[in-house]
Amino acid sequence: MPLPDSSPPYSTHILAQFIRYQNHLQTQIGHIVAWASLILVGITALVVILRYGFDTGSIALQESIMYTHAILFMLGMAYTYQQDKHVRVDVFYAHYSSKQRAWVNLLGTLLMTLPTMAFIIWVGWDYVALSWKIGETSVESSGLAYLYLLKTLILIMAALLISQALSVAAQASLTLCAQPASLPEKDNDHLEGKL
Amino acid sequence: MEWLALVLFAVIFIALLIGFPVALTLAGTSLLFALIANAFGAFDMAFLHSIPSRIFSIMSNEILIAVPLFIFMGVMLEKSKIAENLLHTMDEVMRGIKGGLGIAVIIVGMLLAASTGIVGATVVTMGLLALPTMLKQGYCPRIASGTICASGTLGQIIPPSIVLILLGDVLSSSYQQAQLNQGIFSPEALSVGDLFIGALLPGMILVVLYMLYIFYKAMTRPDLIPNNIGEPVAPGLGKRVLKSLVPPLALILLVLGSILGGFATPTEAASLGALGALLLAMVNKKLSLETLNHVMRNTLQVTSMIFLIFIGAAFFALVFKGLGGDDLITELLTDLPGGIFTAMLIVMALLFILGFFLDFIEITYVVVPVVAPVLLMMGVDPIWLGIMIAINLQTAFLTPPFGFALFYLKGVASNLKTSDLYKGVMPFILIQLSVLVLIAIWPELVTWLPSLVYS
Repeated sequence: MPLPDSSPPYSTHILAQFIRYQNHLQTQIGHIVAWASLILVGITALVVILRYGFDTGSIALQESIMYTHAILFMLGMAYTYQQDKHVRVDVFYAHYSSKQRAWVNLLGTLLMTLPTMAFIIWVGWDYVALSWKIGETSVESSGLAYLYLLKTLILIMAALLISQALSVAAQASLTLCAQPASLPEKDNDHLEGKL
Repeated sequence: MEWLALVLFAVIFIALLIGFPVALTLAGTSLLFALIANAFGAFDMAFLHSIPSRIFSIMSNEILIAVPLFIFMGVMLEKSKIAENLLHTMDEVMRGIKGGLGIAVIIVGMLLAASTGIVGATVVTMGLLALPTMLKQGYCPRIASGTICASGTLGQIIPPSIVLILLGDVLSSSYQQAQLNQGIFSPEALSVGDLFIGALLPGMILVVLYMLYIFYKAMTRPDLIPNNIGEPVAPGLGKRVLKSLVPPLALILLVLGSILGGFATPTEAASLGALGALLLAMVNKKLSLETLNHVMRNTLQVTSMIFLIFIGAAFFALVFKGLGGDDLITELLTDLPGGIFTAMLIVMALLFILGFFLDFIEITYVVVPVVAPVLLMMGVDPIWLGIMIAINLQTAFLTPPFGFALFYLKGVASNLKTSDLYKGVMPFILIQLSVLVLIAIWPELVTWLPSLVYS
C-alpha cells in the first residue's frame, strides 16, 4: 500500500526515533547524576565537621569526594550538551536562522565533537586498560580501591558525548531537509545559575 | 615553525566566533590543526597522547571541587530569597538619601558577592526586583541598568569567587613552572586563599568607587537620580534589618572567615556554605523537591559546561606547546623594550580585548597559562598578577556586546533598550580601568594584606 504523500520517508522516521530515545536517555542520566551535587555537598561538609568537630577523618571518605565530583561532571557533560548549555560565543550565532544554526551544529559535530571524542577513546583505551590490568587503587593504603573505575569515566564520557553528537547531527539534518524536527526534551531554562 | 602556534591561536579565535560550543571548538580545532601539522611534519602527535592523563588530573584536582559547591550555594541562596529581603530593607534604610536605592543595590551586590558571588543569580534577582523600583522612582534607565550589572559582577572579584579559584589553579602551576625554569627546586606555592586575601582591598575600593559615582551623579544630576522616595518606612525597621542581615553575614563569616582564618580550604568552606544555603532555604520554607531538582540540575549543567572547557583547553595547550608556542611567547614578551612594564601592559590589553569576545573561563585556561609563566619569571608578584587579571576578567563581564552581566539583565528585563544598557555600563568600565591603574601604580593595595596575614 503506498504511503500518503504527507508522511515523512522511513529514514526520517528512524532518525526521529533515534533522537527521541537518545535525548530521553541523556535526560534521565542527567536527572539522576544531578543528585551527585547534593551528595558532594553532604560528604564534603561531613568531612569538615568530622575533622574540626570530632578530630577524626577517613581517607576513603575524603577520596569519595573526588569520585562524586568526577561522576558529576563526567556523566553530566552529554546531558548538558543535550540541553544545549555548553557555552557558545553567540556574536553571530544569535542572529542565525534555524537553517544556519543547523549547518553550524551539523558541521561542528562532524568536524569537532566526533573526532575529539573518538580520539579520546583511541588514546584513552590503553590508559584505562592498563589501570584495569593492574587493578589500580589509591596510593593511600586505606584509600578507595577503584581508581580503574574512576578512570573508566573518561571512556564513558566520550561515548555518551558521541551518542549525543549523533543525535545533534541527526536533528540538524532533519532541520536542513525541512522536516519538522522533533523537539528535544528540555528542562526549564533559568539564568540564575550562570556564573 | 613556531609561528604555526600563532596561526593556531588565530584559527581557534575565528572558529569560536562561528558559534559552535566553545569547549568542543577548542578541542576539535586543536586536534584538526595538529593532524594537518603532523601530516606536514610540523607536529608530533605524541604530544597529544597525554590527553587521558590530563583529563584524569582535571578529575582529581582538589581545588576545582570548590566550583560545583559554590555554584550549588549560589543557586540555592537565590532560591532562599535572602537577596530579596536584603534589597527591601536596604532600600528602607536608604530612604530619603540621595541615590539611596542605587547605593542599596551596590551594598546588596557586595554582600551577595562576599557570600558566594554567582553573577547570574545576583543580576537576575536585582533585575527583577530593583530595576522596576528604580525606574518607577525616576532613575534614568542607563544608570539603573549599569548599577545593577556592575554590582552583580562584584561576585567575580570579591572572594569567594569562581574567577579567583580558577585563576588560583592556573597561576599556582604557572608559578611552580616559572620557578623550576629559574632553577629553584623548592618552589614557593601560591594558593587560592592568597588570591582571596589579595582581592579583598581592591574589591572594597571598587565598591566605594561605585557608590561615590552614584552619589556624585545624584548630587549633580537630580533629574537622572531622584531622591529615594517611596512608602514611608514602617515601624520595626531595626528588627527587619537585623533579620535580613543575619543570614548573609553568617554565611560570609562561615565561608570567608574559615578560609581567611586558615581553618578550611576553599573547597571545605564552600561545602559549609552550600549546606548553610540549603538550611536557610529550609528555614525560609522555600525548599521543595522541585526547587532542589532545579538547583541540582543547574549546578550539574554549569559544572559540566566549565569542565568540558577544561578538557578543550587541555587539547589546545598540548598542541600549542607541541608547536613551540610556549617558547615563542617567552621570546616575544621578554625581548620587549621597557621590560616588565611593557610586557604587563600588552598582556593586560590583550586580556581586555579578548574579554569582549570570550568569557573568563576560556581566557583563564587558554591565555593565562601561556603568558603567566613568562611574566612570573620576569619577577612579577603572583598575587598581584592574579588580581590584575581578575579585575580585567571581571570587566569583561561588563563590556558590550558580549558581557555576560548584560545578557543576564537583558534576559529578565527585555523592555530595556540595548543602547541604554551599553551606555549605562560605560562609567563602571571606566571605574574598573582606573582601579587597574591604581593597583598597577600601588601594588601594595594587593600585596599588603597577604603579607600581613603571613608575617
